[in-house]
Amino acid sequence: MSPPRSALVRNLFGAVTLIGAAGSAGVYFSVGRERFWVNWLVWTLFLLTLGLGNLFLVALERLVGAHWSVPMRRVPERIASLIPLAVVLLLVAFFGVPVIFPWTYPEAAHNPILVAKAPWLNLPFFAIRLAVCATVWMLFYAFYVRGSLRQDESKDPAFTVRARRLAPPFMVVLSFSLTILAFDWISGLEPEWYSDMFGVYLFAGSLIAGIAAMVLGVLSLKGRGRLPEVQTKHIYNLGSLGLAFTVFFAYIGFAQYMLIWYANLPEEVIWFKHRIEGAWQPVALALPLLHFFIPFFLLIGSVGKKHPAPLRLAAISILLGHFVDLYWLIFPTLGPKPLFGWPELAMACFFLGLGSLQIRRAMGHGADMPVGDPLLAQGLEWQL
Amino acid sequence: MSSATFAVLGLFSDAHKIVDAANQIRPRKLGRLEAYTPYPVHGLDRAIGLAPSRLGRLVMFMGVIGACLALLFEGWVSAVDYPLVTGGKALFSWQAFVPVMFEVTVLFATFTAGLAMLFAFNKLPFFGHPVLHSQAIKGITRDKLALSIEASSAAFDAEAARQALIDNGAESVEIVPVPAWDRPLSLVGLLRTIAGIVAACVVAGAGLFAAEKLIPIVPPMIHMHNQPKLNAFHESAFFVDGRGMRPAVAGTVARGHLPPAFATPEEAGTLLSNPLPLTQSIAERGRRVFNDHCAICHGLVGNGVPLLSHAYGGKPGNFLSNEIRARPDGHYFGVLMLGKNAMPSYAADLDHDDRWAAVHYIRILQRAQNAKDEDLR
Repeated sequence: MSPPRSALVRNLFGAVTLIGAAGSAGVYFSVGRERFWVNWLVWTLFLLTLGLGNLFLVALERLVGAHWSVPMRRVPERIASLIPLAVVLLLVAFFGVPVIFPWTYPEAAHNPILVAKAPWLNLPFFAIRLAVCATVWMLFYAFYVRGSLRQDESKDPAFTVRARRLAPPFMVVLSFSLTILAFDWISGLEPEWYSDMFGVYLFAGSLIAGIAAMVLGVLSLKGRGRLPEVQTKHIYNLGSLGLAFTVFFAYIGFAQYMLIWYANLPEEVIWFKHRIEGAWQPVALALPLLHFFIPFFLLIGSVGKKHPAPLRLAAISILLGHFVDLYWLIFPTLGPKPLFGWPELAMACFFLGLGSLQIRRAMGHGADMPVGDPLLAQGLEWQL
Repeated sequence: MSSATFAVLGLFSDAHKIVDAANQIRPRKLGRLEAYTPYPVHGLDRAIGLAPSRLGRLVMFMGVIGACLALLFEGWVSAVDYPLVTGGKALFSWQAFVPVMFEVTVLFATFTAGLAMLFAFNKLPFFGHPVLHSQAIKGITRDKLALSIEASSAAFDAEAARQALIDNGAESVEIVPVPAWDRPLSLVGLLRTIAGIVAACVVAGAGLFAAEKLIPIVPPMIHMHNQPKLNAFHESAFFVDGRGMRPAVAGTVARGHLPPAFATPEEAGTLLSNPLPLTQSIAERGRRVFNDHCAICHGLVGNGVPLLSHAYGGKPGNFLSNEIRARPDGHYFGVLMLGKNAMPSYAADLDHDDRWAAVHYIRILQRAQNAKDEDLR
């Protein structure tokens, strides 16, 4: 890859980001603050869940002691570099909390449900939870990603042992913090609504979106000849993991829907009614199509897990589905019709440009494979 | 003993060597390659030229069939055959069907995978394999890996196969003959097997039946025989009086059999009035009751002329007479309950509403014979 082309691509991303930033400012001042913050939230959560999903994949490999994914591990580690970016964006989103969260409105004092939930839904505690979650994510990100980069130089096997020991607590902390993220930042938009499973739903969505991003990263690097030793067998296993989590997400999503549909309690079912009937119906139908049916039938056979084309298509479908998912969760608070116009496109340009720049920057750091990991040789030799 | 060759077996100790040997021998097309190993060897399936399994496609197909069948069945049961609204949901609620569809999909897929693998792809039933009678089998089940070149055609050259195996690093080579008994499954054998299974079933069933009838030591399936309950009209040691069926509490009244609150028809006349409204259907009911029970003595128009022969000496009351017409409704009801003169009580034959309907009909008969001017308009 020649440097001029690389610089050109970087400048292109930069230009898209700048145009997006200008458009976003236009949204804030001319279209409305509410729409601005809702867009901000969707895209911040998109980047954050991709980063956390990939950090989960890194920790999952450590937890189960997998060998096959070691040669590819640099990819999720680099995508996890979205975490610091998204954490900053989420901290900025705190300024939007009084604009889009009904429990902060003065009327909330007269709503008995919100009064009962006030011990949890109040600004100081909300800020504390945000600070704790952000700190925890940053600490684990630094531990896993920076530590792995340092191991390239030091070749210290002790880090591999420490990373494995810290993986179980990280899993627990991540599931708790993702649940808090889901409750605070998504279901808090309609604070009367309540679903036990919502945390797991966002967790499952983050994992499969993280895997999809990792698939795209691995295929992209391999296509440029930067991961020559990663073979079909490695990619096949990654595809299998993608298939498993596609089903897991569909299972969680349908279980949440079916339980609420069956119980038919007014305060629960109204949330789905707003999102499934009327103008939102096409979005509600696109969600399972993009997030489950297309990737499932692409990945169910061994062909789809091995070859780049179907695998890439499945990953793109899942990432699109992940955006549609967040859009479908968050945007109905703005009204009974799906809003999608130039404000959404401008803000998408801004956030996707930022994210792409961040991942590109990370892709240039360190070796393309964790050369200091003592398990790398076994990972390369590993047979399906 | 047939001298035909089934296969030539070469034994290896190293998994890498057997894969390499298979890769070398396969292009020479000496015969069909097969491998026997005590544990799975990566890459060996490709090395011996095994085509990708078709099991996956079959499983997928049957899984889809299972999902469709479950959807059709549930939809037909809930919306067509026995439409029953549950929880205010639509009759065809796909949401409720999905869990069962999922289960049936998994059921069909796993059964297809298991059965197709055993019977279609592994060619069971297969009562013994020639390699089981080779010298090498002990090594194969312990720590040796065997590569076999099977005699797939008449042009099979056992000597060339042996040489190829030795050249590619086989530690020892064995020629496995086709065993004399190794014949394909014959019709007679199949029939014998089926007959044996049937005979075993018959003997076992008859034996169990006879054992239960003749030697009833342990009756099978006694779970539902001995229930902690009392049957009607059976005695029980649980109650002091020894009766399993409890007598009704004093003062209990059977439904629709309220005892009369009067002692004579005259008293009933002062106490009761007809509770039924006079409608077309009640009048019809009264006519039916009257014609069935009253008309035989009192006559079809209630004039006291019996439908019986004159040999019957009784003198039934004439409802059309001024004396009987003047009596209140309750009096008629009281007579039906208690009887009068030669007339028995009809308390057991007619229920409460039947009696009052009959009273209405008697009033209609009386009015029909004593119509006023305005009735005729």
